[in-house]
Amino acid sequence: MTENVLEVNDLTMHYMTRKGPVFAVDGVTFHVKRGEAIGLVGESGCGKTSIAISLLKLLPNNAKILNGEIKINDVDTVPLSDKEMNKYRWKNISMVFQAAMNSMNPVYSVEEQIAEAMREHMPHLSDQEMSEKIDYLFNLVGLDPALKTQYPHQYSGGMRQRAVIAMALSCDPDIIIADEPTTALDVIVQDAILKRIREIQEELNMAMIYISHDIAVIAEVSQRVGVMYAGKLVEMSSTEDIFHHPIHPYTMALMSSFPSIVGEKTELVTLAGEPPDLLNPPAGCRFHPRCPYATEICREQEPDFKEHAVGHYAACWHPGGVK
Amino acid sequence: MWKFLGKRFLQMFITLLMFQTVTYFLMDAQPGDIADLLTLNPDIPPAERERIRVDLGLDRPPAERFLKYIGNFYKGDLGVSFSQFPRPVTEIILERLPRTLVLFLSASVISFWAGYASGKVLAWKRGGVIEYSSTLVGVILYTVFTPWFALMMIWLFAVYLDWLPPGKFLDPILWLTAPEGIHANDVFVRMIWSVMIATGVMILGLIGTQRLSSQLRKTGRWVSFVVPFIGVFLYWRFASSGISLYAWDILQHLVLPVLTVTLIAYGGTMLLMRTSMLETLREDYILTARAKGMPEKIIRDKHAARNALLPVWTGLVFSIGSSLSGGIITETIFSWPGLGLTLLNAAQVEDIPLAMGALTVTGVMTLLSHLVADIGYAFLDPRIRFS
Amino acid sequence: MSTISSPVDATYIPLWRVRLRLFWRAVKTNWAMFAENPIGLFGLGLIIFFGLFALAHPILISTVWEAKIYDPVNGFDIEIPYHPSPPSAKHLLGTDPMGRDVLSQLMFSTRYEFALGMISAIVTVLIATSIGAIAAYYGGITDILLMRIVDLVIMIPYLPILIVMSALMRVGMIELALFIGILSGFGGTAIVIKSQALTVKVKPYIEAARISGGGDFHIIFTHMVPNLLPIALLYMMFVVTGAIFSEAVLSFFGLTEIDMSWGLMINTTQVFGYIMRFDAWYLLLPASLAITLLCAAFYMVGRALDEVVNPRLRER
Repeated sequence: MTENVLEVNDLTMHYMTRKGPVFAVDGVTFHVKRGEAIGLVGESGCGKTSIAISLLKLLPNNAKILNGEIKINDVDTVPLSDKEMNKYRWKNISMVFQAAMNSMNPVYSVEEQIAEAMREHMPHLSDQEMSEKIDYLFNLVGLDPALKTQYPHQYSGGMRQRAVIAMALSCDPDIIIADEPTTALDVIVQDAILKRIREIQEELNMAMIYISHDIAVIAEVSQRVGVMYAGKLVEMSSTEDIFHHPIHPYTMALMSSFPSIVGEKTELVTLAGEPPDLLNPPAGCRFHPRCPYATEICREQEPDFKEHAVGHYAACWHPGGVK
Repeated sequence: MWKFLGKRFLQMFITLLMFQTVTYFLMDAQPGDIADLLTLNPDIPPAERERIRVDLGLDRPPAERFLKYIGNFYKGDLGVSFSQFPRPVTEIILERLPRTLVLFLSASVISFWAGYASGKVLAWKRGGVIEYSSTLVGVILYTVFTPWFALMMIWLFAVYLDWLPPGKFLDPILWLTAPEGIHANDVFVRMIWSVMIATGVMILGLIGTQRLSSQLRKTGRWVSFVVPFIGVFLYWRFASSGISLYAWDILQHLVLPVLTVTLIAYGGTMLLMRTSMLETLREDYILTARAKGMPEKIIRDKHAARNALLPVWTGLVFSIGSSLSGGIITETIFSWPGLGLTLLNAAQVEDIPLAMGALTVTGVMTLLSHLVADIGYAFLDPRIRFS
Repeated sequence: MSTISSPVDATYIPLWRVRLRLFWRAVKTNWAMFAENPIGLFGLGLIIFFGLFALAHPILISTVWEAKIYDPVNGFDIEIPYHPSPPSAKHLLGTDPMGRDVLSQLMFSTRYEFALGMISAIVTVLIATSIGAIAAYYGGITDILLMRIVDLVIMIPYLPILIVMSALMRVGMIELALFIGILSGFGGTAIVIKSQALTVKVKPYIEAARISGGGDFHIIFTHMVPNLLPIALLYMMFVVTGAIFSEAVLSFFGLTEIDMSWGLMINTTQVFGYIMRFDAWYLLLPASLAITLLCAAFYMVGRALDEVVNPRLRER
């Protein structure tokens, strides 16, 4: 066993559309250590969710992984068939979905929906043990175990989200992906659930990938952060570095759009222009049309995603805005 | 639950009353009242004609006659048939009703199950030749001119292949030699009872297996499916071997009409299930189930099909009327002496009491089917059950 | 309208022209979607075929076919000794037991099937959109009353009532079309259109019309109903299927007062005792196939339109 529970190397995935291929994930490389929480942040449509569904290989019919490796506990899952992949889903890698409201089946009780995953992946458990484990999970996420026989429509939004988290934890996964799990909830519930997620992650010492467009949320839960732009990972480093010493101009712009109340006063940078059309992405660095530091080389050549400081990766010709 | 049932019963009763009112006054508003049909005979002198009119109560105001009609209906008196004088309408209908019920119920159950099972598979495997050919077959079965389809079934199975009798309820030559005391209706009713008891045992068995642990459940289900079948077989083989020959004859005559109505009803259910399944497959909880690493079969049957069933079940409510219509047409083509054929024949010879009686009973049947469908829906959808 | 025309009169475009232009644009985009569905195209092809088939009859009668022999109702071919006769060069689909040309009957009846389908579909749409729009717009007691009636009509077993009705009175094509139209207008179509009307009702332009002082009647019929028409058009297709089918069944039972129709052709076959004579296929097959195909054609077009109108059915 290595210390990396997940390794993604040069992952490229596209959707075939009527107008042509859309490269939603393009050459993404990162890793997650055992027990580590990382965050992925970016605007909507930048490929965050595409990465998540690629990791579980839940691709729609028109999507395809073209290149790269996804190593879960050192096993590359890209060449696996759907049936072989089923052994890894939930058991090794599970997910809390964006639309938690609808991610539970309305005609089965919450208990049944959690139990069915355990029956599939932990067949050695007896009915009794399963029931006890569900009680434990309910307590863990802050739900009353007496409610487990109820149906999803009888739960409130926040309760449903907690139940979905309990479900994701049911088979003791090595890594859990949380895709905007709190976006649909109101702020107070959002905060409580976020806190709970962080506590659980620390308590169970489980790896987590937290995906959000909200950089404040990401900062709260993750130890390292990756920033995505137009299907590419443009910068990745410790949360501290990303927030205080970003080196990619896009990250710099992103950070300054969230002014800190207590920190030093900085000028708010606004980004001109729109994120690129992924059907027809710009040549060279995809950020160059909006980048204040862009030069000739940015327009022609794509920068490599390389280490600029210890553990601080970025794909930029002018890191830190230096010409 | 009881409140729901009570409310639905009341609603049903009101609907039936409205239905009877509408049909009664439509009938009453026809030029030339019912008595004219009886008194058209020029040999009857005008005084006698007037006497018949008074005897029949036709001199009373329409409202009074209507109340009397409704009152008698709920006492079970539907009048006397003109064409089979002096048999009471109630007696004729009670004789014919089981035959129609068997045809209608077995065809509904089989076609619903078959449409559900094939619709889900067809939606799962999208695209290509199978998709278009199955849609085409579904559309053709749904829109085919029913009398012609029934005739083609007769041609194929009774004439060309010669597997089954072409029509009617029984084989008169065989029954001519039947011993004294064996009546077709008694045999038929006994057949219905044996099937109903077997079904009841099966359902009880399936409910009972719910309590078993997950390992034993499969065996339990299998047993509760097979045991009733064996029971019915043993009953007809040994316990009532004297009439099993005649029961077999009725059964043979039953197959083709049931198959025909089943196929006609199948098309619509299959198409609806397929569409509903395609919609369900885009739901988020299907993605969740896939993420959970559930096997394909469980995702398809347990998650997708179970939810896709709900609109199909609602669609069943809308199609009850049309399957009854299909039943009437099939009964006429197969000379199956059920309620539909009775209604049509009565209408053709202007036997008004019988036609009205058959029509009203058909209405009651529709209302009851709707009730059953509604209760079934409440069981299928926990969002209705717990609200 | 002229009193509140736009301040710049030179650029004023009448509302109907704007509507027409929007409509045309919608037709073009929807057609592109419709054309991707082979089953819908097949149905449309069948409808066009039957349309041409119906048009061809008067032309043939006035040119090639001698009226005395080929008249669909009163024709008789005296040169053939025994009727019904199997297909020949003179009678491509043979003659019926009364010596009439089957092909001529088949073509002649087509126009009535179209007329019947259209009349009942239009009646249905008129009733269903009015009920749906009024129930959705007013809500409350109006809604409850109308929906109770709809519930009742849905529960009514259609064909048995038609059978009893037609036994009691003379039912011709028009009466039948009206009857079917009214029954289906009050039935399931009204529910579907009402649910659509409920989504239209909360659109901002309805609110805008109300604020600018539009009367209820005006709002319902100039703002809501036009937006319900696409879905109404879709359900028209299914009504046509039902109408043609019902007419055929009733005529087959001999319960209608119609000179000639596909159902009646089969009825004639039955009355003369040829219904189980499977060697005389030319009596039964053409009319039955025509009924089936025309019903299927409208149904298939309806399904394809459904996929255009309801985006949730599309693949991506």
